Amino acid sequence: MSAGGRAPLLLLVDDEPRILSALRRSLRREPYEILAAETWGDALRLCDAHPIDLVLSDHKMPGMTGLQLLERIAARRPQVIRMLITGWTEAIPEDAMRAVGVRAVVSKPWEDAALKETLRLACKALR
Amino acid sequence: MDPMDPSEGGGRGAARVALVSADPQPAWLAQARALWGEEIEILHVGAASDCQALARITRLDAAILDARIGAGAQALVASLAARAVPALVLEPEPGDSAALAWLRAGAAECLAWGVGAERIAVALRRLLARERSRREALRRASGSNVVRAQHDIIEQLNSALLVVDAAGRIAYCNPPAEQILGATHEALLGRSAWDWFGAPAGEESLVARSLRRGERFKGAEAVIMRPDGRRVPVGMSCAPMEAADGARTGAVAVFQDLSDTKQLRTQLLQHEKLASIGQLAAGVAHEINNPMGFIHANLFQIAEYVQDLRRVWGQVEALLEAARKAEAPELREAAEALGAEAEAVDVAFVLGDLAKAVRESQEGSERIRHIVQDLRDFSHQDTAERVLADLNQCLDSTANIVWPMMKHVVTLEKRYADLPAVPCFPMQLKQVFMNLLVNAYQAIEEAVGQSGATGTIALETRRSPGGVEVAVRDTGVGIPPEHRSRIFDPFFTTKKVGAGTGLGLSTSFGIVQRHGGRLAVESEPGVGTCFRLFLPVDDVEDLPE
Repeated sequence: MSAGGRAPLLLLVDDEPRILSALRRSLRREPYEILAAETWGDALRLCDAHPIDLVLSDHKMPGMTGLQLLERIAARRPQVIRMLITGWTEAIPEDAMRAVGVRAVVSKPWEDAALKETLRLACKALR
Repeated sequence: MDPMDPSEGGGRGAARVALVSADPQPAWLAQARALWGEEIEILHVGAASDCQALARITRLDAAILDARIGAGAQALVASLAARAVPALVLEPEPGDSAALAWLRAGAAECLAWGVGAERIAVALRRLLARERSRREALRRASGSNVVRAQHDIIEQLNSALLVVDAAGRIAYCNPPAEQILGATHEALLGRSAWDWFGAPAGEESLVARSLRRGERFKGAEAVIMRPDGRRVPVGMSCAPMEAADGARTGAVAVFQDLSDTKQLRTQLLQHEKLASIGQLAAGVAHEINNPMGFIHANLFQIAEYVQDLRRVWGQVEALLEAARKAEAPELREAAEALGAEAEAVDVAFVLGDLAKAVRESQEGSERIRHIVQDLRDFSHQDTAERVLADLNQCLDSTANIVWPMMKHVVTLEKRYADLPAVPCFPMQLKQVFMNLLVNAYQAIEEAVGQSGATGTIALETRRSPGGVEVAVRDTGVGIPPEHRSRIFDPFFTTKKVGAGTGLGLSTSFGIVQRHGGRLAVESEPGVGTCFRLFLPVDDVEDLPE
């Protein structure tokens, strides 16, 4: 929960650091606190250390898929809003996404407006 | 041992004996029949030429010839002898010289006419027995005679069987072989086998290798080239035939038409190939999408930043103007320095051109995005069930994929009508569109050559009674009328080696047929070609009951 007026805390996960910096650029003017992780290990550590509200994770990453990562995060903090960003949306089985409770899938490359709108809608669920 | 015992000689049943006589019921016949019972079947012919014809179309074990038949009797005896059919001649004027003449001509036996049914019956039996044991001996001695001895079995074989003699002439072929070679027995016998089993690519055919080098093949693949131009893929087993002394007397080939099997397999292969290309394309698309992700997003941000900077620079210029007129000399100096630097860099141009460069890069990244999207669409696997698809979209995305390859010689015109969704296997239809587009492009390329001219491919979709129609029209070389009936045949190609498999259109035809549709062609050499694909759309639900 984003507590009393605090900006929602968004965790970005992607093994490609340039994606992370491009996402940060896209969201520079948006009302989020942003944390970023390049590995699933870092992502879980950040999740444990900070009151994360939203996660936007790449799917195809070394060691663990984004879907598996979101499943772990959900097990620790079920209230975290879970989203994927991927260049290969067809590769993710729909029923698995439903099972993990993935709220949205952003495709790469993303449109600036679409990304912002997706996050804005996701935040509504926080309040 | 009774030579007429049906259990002998592979249980062939009654011996077939031709009776060549003006009189179908000569006096002796009834009595002789009573003597040999069911063992002998008499086939009556009234003239020597009829007997020749009979011998060509059926197996004869012997012939009884009334010498009074006259014209052609001697020639008939000789020809029967050549076919190893023993002839018993009934001579009206008995005498050693007449008998000798007949025996010299090739007759097996000569009896006086009116000698009596019993003697005729005995003589015939003796002939048949002698012939049978001769064949037996030959069969044991030489493989080639198996053909004759087991004639019936071979005739009824499902596989084609062909025997060539030592000179490569067709010595025997059964009905399935006639069918595959596309000619009758009569037309085939004695012809050179190389008319069908030629060596177009300089490599000897399997039959030739068996015959000339004694090689043996089992289940090998070969292509028979019929004189009518059709190519028939066959599965073939082939072996040399050798006499007891080891001399090569010919070769025997057993083969089956593989057209259907082969086409199916090739389609399957092509499908598998496309599927693996699809997987590769999808994987590559994903890899491209990662860098495209940040390039696309960064370009968007850069464009925003440039806007911001241009706005700020406008303020800076206003400030510069004011500072140039300022009282304080250090402010004026600073303004001069900034003005000189701005002029050297040409800031106004740089900011304008930066915006333009970013915009153009954004267009490029947008284009890459579409290509990747089309690749992914193309690679998307078909489901087992038909799905409703937008044919305009299928056609358009396929055209986008092949477009870069052809744009130097082709102008593409698109006239898409509003179409209902069509139940289909979209991936397969895209394969058809791809084939038609590539053919159209190749036809145009052939027509324009190095002239620097261009051609047009027009893609048109429209509703048609009961369904939808897609037309792919080109201004290429066209199809000569003599090829038009064969363009959908598997392996028919006029392209140079390596440019085409000859399967594109036959595969397309198969796909369209599986959709219950039609693929038709209109073409005029030198003007162009138009392929029309019709697909039925079931509008039953929309019809008023």
